Amino acid sequence: MSKFPLVVIVILATLMIGKNSLFVLDEGRQAIITEFGKPVGTPVTQAGLHFKTPFVQDVRYVDKRMLSWDGYPNQIPTKDKKFIRVDTTARFKVVDALKFIQTVRNTSGAKARIDTVLDSATRNVISSHNLVEAVRDSNAIIEKINSNEKSTDVNDINEEITGDIEEVLVGREKLSQLIVEKADAELREFGIELIDVQLRRISYEKTVEQKVYERMISERKRIAAKIRSIGEGEKAKIEGRLEKDLRLITSEAYKQSQKIKGQAEAKASAIYAKVFSKDPTFYEFMRSMDAYKTAIKKDTKLILSSDSEFLKFMR
Amino acid sequence: MSFNQGQPTNDFEKMKQDLDKALKMIGPFLIILFLVIGTYTSFYTVEPDEEAVVIRLGKFTGTNTPGLHFKIPLGVDEVIKVKTKRVLQEEFGFRTASTSRRVTSYRDGKDMDVESLMLTGDLNVADVEWAVQYRIADPFKYIFQVAEPIQTVRDVSESIMRRVVGDRSVSETLTTGKVEIETTAQELMQLVLNKYDIGIQIISVKLQDVNPPQVVKASFNEVNEAKQEQEKAINEAEGAYNKVIPEARGKADKQISQAEGFSIELVNRAQGNVAKFEEILKEYQRAPQITKKRIYLETMESLYKSFDDITIIDTKIKGVLPVYNGQLTGGGK
Repeated sequence: MSKFPLVVIVILATLMIGKNSLFVLDEGRQAIITEFGKPVGTPVTQAGLHFKTPFVQDVRYVDKRMLSWDGYPNQIPTKDKKFIRVDTTARFKVVDALKFIQTVRNTSGAKARIDTVLDSATRNVISSHNLVEAVRDSNAIIEKINSNEKSTDVNDINEEITGDIEEVLVGREKLSQLIVEKADAELREFGIELIDVQLRRISYEKTVEQKVYERMISERKRIAAKIRSIGEGEKAKIEGRLEKDLRLITSEAYKQSQKIKGQAEAKASAIYAKVFSKDPTFYEFMRSMDAYKTAIKKDTKLILSSDSEFLKFMR
Repeated sequence: MSFNQGQPTNDFEKMKQDLDKALKMIGPFLIILFLVIGTYTSFYTVEPDEEAVVIRLGKFTGTNTPGLHFKIPLGVDEVIKVKTKRVLQEEFGFRTASTSRRVTSYRDGKDMDVESLMLTGDLNVADVEWAVQYRIADPFKYIFQVAEPIQTVRDVSESIMRRVVGDRSVSETLTTGKVEIETTAQELMQLVLNKYDIGIQIISVKLQDVNPPQVVKASFNEVNEAKQEQEKAINEAEGAYNKVIPEARGKADKQISQAEGFSIELVNRAQGNVAKFEEILKEYQRAPQITKKRIYLETMESLYKSFDDITIIDTKIKGVLPVYNGQLTGGGK
């Protein structure tokens, strides 16, 4: 009877001490042990069950996962004075939990610091480069134009690119890296490691956008006109070819048929000459006889002289 | 029962006894209940499209495949089930609004322009809508390596798509380059996500509507119309060519054939005439005088007999000709 409450007290005390001297560290988190608010030892980063001095020490947890930072879209002029809106995001990790807790306390505090650091780094990098450096990553587009120029195919007009394509010296990815380099050292002071910065969106300022659209429209109109005129040109070429081929064919046929006829006549007269020359006077006589028969029409008024050979015996 | 008999001193004792009895009866029942709950909470099933991540006292111990599994109850083992087989989709520049009707409806408002409008390599603007399909390849990494996995996928995808389109001209983006853009974007996205090591596998990047911005759309259409016109002009010219040239070829062939026919005829006639002459010549040479005379007379005979109007004039009569003067000059017959 009298032992019962004592047992209960002992059990409760053990439980309390146990609970206070053990703590579970979840995956994706790290912990700092503080003694009356003062950090002791190195941060605990391995997940699992851990010990601490009960009642004296406290545990503070910090995220160990990769965290995202989303920047507010900034209006930044580029080096070539083009106004663009740059929207960046970044990923970071708490690598020094102690520094992190001391300098920024928690994730939202960290994000506020990253805001200032990354904003200025982004502004710096973007405004010291031309617009193309932030848009393109390589000179692939220029290489493509060059290879297209070599193959001068009429139908390759799809690849039409207008204006000068500026050469990229740095490139988009490198710009991100430059921003990371600039910002990383500062963020290390807060126990933060910057994993990367992504130029999520780059767009023209509203006023600039309008001008770009106007340029695009005029560019398309120009391309359309060119396509049409190429079409007309092709048409004219075909019409010309038609005219030429037609004349070629008809004249060729005339030439050939004349030649055939000439050869035939030559052959025929050779045949005649060869045989008729055997007795030219007889030929003349025979041919005349034939000619009289065919040449003198039936209804001709014929006046014969009685001297005629035919009428010899009528005299 | 004893309560009813009204004996206060005994009452308390009795109650205690009753309680003990009750406890003895309830005790085993409680133990059984405890065991049942314990057993029930120490088993769990993993569905076919899932994987289970097991956390023991905060520490990751492994993943379990579909089926029935045991865990230590009372909060020692914690199980997180993740749909690893399911294909997840993120949409950019549009949202699938409803799939319940027969035709899936999409929302694609002005508010999403900010996602889909991007600069091309020739500093034009294109409106690119796309979707990314991905799968959770490593559930542990997906849960514990990254705070906002979906937002991370979105951020990376937007950045990569702009990088890929940024290296292409607006025409290429709108027409020929689509497949290449998809594959390149997928590769690059996977590279970045691998660097993050967050257990996500990109299955595909699919371009949806790729358009010029609304205001310039008309002029892009004009280019297409111009292409049609170009083709039409060329086709018309080809048509005219094909109509005229084959006919001309045929006529040319005809002309040549006619010439050949003429030629054959001419030669044959010559040969015929010559053969006839030679035959007569043979006869003639045998008796030239007689033959010549005969031929002459026969010819004249056949010639004169067919005439209707023959006048014979004696050479001794003079001055006949003037009679015919008028008729000869006027008639011409």
